[in-house]
Amino acid sequence: MTRAQTGLLRTGASFALLEHARNHLASVLVVVYIPLWLTLEHWFVTPAPARFLLRATGRTVTVSGNHLTMVSGAVNTVTLIVGFMMFITTFKSLAFDRRLAFAGYPRTFLLLSKVIAMTVASALIAGYATAVICWYWDPVRPGLLAVGLFTAAVAYGGIGVLLGAFLRNELAALFVIIMASLLDTMLQNPMSNTGADKDGLQLLPGYGPTQVSVAAGFTSTDTPYGHLLLGPLWFLLMWGLGTAAFFARTRNHLRLPRSARPARRLT
Amino acid sequence: MPRAPHALRVHDVHKSYRSRRVLRGVSFSLEPGTLAGVVGENGSGKSTLLRILCGQIAADSGAVEHGGSLGYCPQETVLNDSLTVDQHLSWFQAAYGLEEPARAEELLEELGFAEYRHTRVEALSGGTRQKLNLTLALMHDPDVLLLDEPYQGFDWETYLRFWDVAARLRERGRCVLVVSHLAWDTQRLDVVLRLRHGVATPGESDAMRAVAT
Repeated sequence: MTRAQTGLLRTGASFALLEHARNHLASVLVVVYIPLWLTLEHWFVTPAPARFLLRATGRTVTVSGNHLTMVSGAVNTVTLIVGFMMFITTFKSLAFDRRLAFAGYPRTFLLLSKVIAMTVASALIAGYATAVICWYWDPVRPGLLAVGLFTAAVAYGGIGVLLGAFLRNELAALFVIIMASLLDTMLQNPMSNTGADKDGLQLLPGYGPTQVSVAAGFTSTDTPYGHLLLGPLWFLLMWGLGTAAFFARTRNHLRLPRSARPARRLT
Repeated sequence: MPRAPHALRVHDVHKSYRSRRVLRGVSFSLEPGTLAGVVGENGSGKSTLLRILCGQIAADSGAVEHGGSLGYCPQETVLNDSLTVDQHLSWFQAAYGLEEPARAEELLEELGFAEYRHTRVEALSGGTRQKLNLTLALMHDPDVLLLDEPYQGFDWETYLRFWDVAARLRERGRCVLVVSHLAWDTQRLDVVLRLRHGVATPGESDAMRAVAT
């Protein structure tokens, strides 16, 4: 990558990140909703033992229902927030992104900038949610728990991008993200779905991240490496579809020759 | 390198939205150093024509040729509410591949909104947003400018300043095509294209009438 390309990517990524930081609703959700949700779960959910099937090893672990629900709740909150953030940025910026693309900003770099910004935001949010969990109890491997939550966040980040590309109504998208995330986490939590061992759960976007997060929270040896990839795989699939729509909508129908594009020094 | 004889050439452009035929064979050509206007009633296809000319949408048939680089100012402001004026200029400076935002700095002064350079767009008035919208279309000093009612929300003084900017662009050999629905704008134009029933017919501008008499 040339110096000029690096500069383009740095400019795009920093402004994309700034846009996330200035999303007031998302910021409030991160600062308030994550600790509130996890604190309420800590207070109200029974610590009675719950059995969870770790499919990566085929082993069933028996753990505190309270702690398991907090892991599940953390997955729920990070997916909601990052899914919402990516929906809003995709939904609101289509016309602006098209304008940038027509001005000569490479579309690939524009998309990469957004992925970089999402990755940074997801990492920070996952780290924050892990820190809140650690305030209440000690997960066995907090680092891996943060990685598990991060993969959940990026999976729903991809879903947010896809919804932003196709839905033209903010409320509808918000409902879809909330419903998908709730269904996903509830179906995988034995506290709400006893056993949670039916085939088909593997097809849910939160499956891989939940397996990783539970393994991180309660085991010291089981590291489901394959499951670590499922969240990013969901992201790539959803993002790929959203990206295809983006390229179709920002196509320049004039097919200007390179020489006609503006790239010169003004004096 | 010799300049292309036509800054903008449009030949037999057709466009329909389902059964509604908006453009039915629009043809015209403009030379460098021309200040032209497209006038017509609401729904006559002015914005559709401009979106075809800038490449945002495809014509069903016909051809469009530009004699150089292109600048397009959409009717509605297309900005990012989270970013400041300066941040917009930085991003578009990178997009246009400009080493210095010299022209943008000039426009900030000419249009009188330099004091808002550190203000986020969400806090700007409608008129100032429109000034930034216009600046982003002009800051790379394009050969051909397509402006879709670029002065919406401007106060009278800024409206006059806009026409001063347009006149200077013409003097520097730029081709400026402005969509307008204001009858009194035509006195400032070299060429008036009247869009009616999907066809552009040359109308007589007040400036042309003044020369004729």
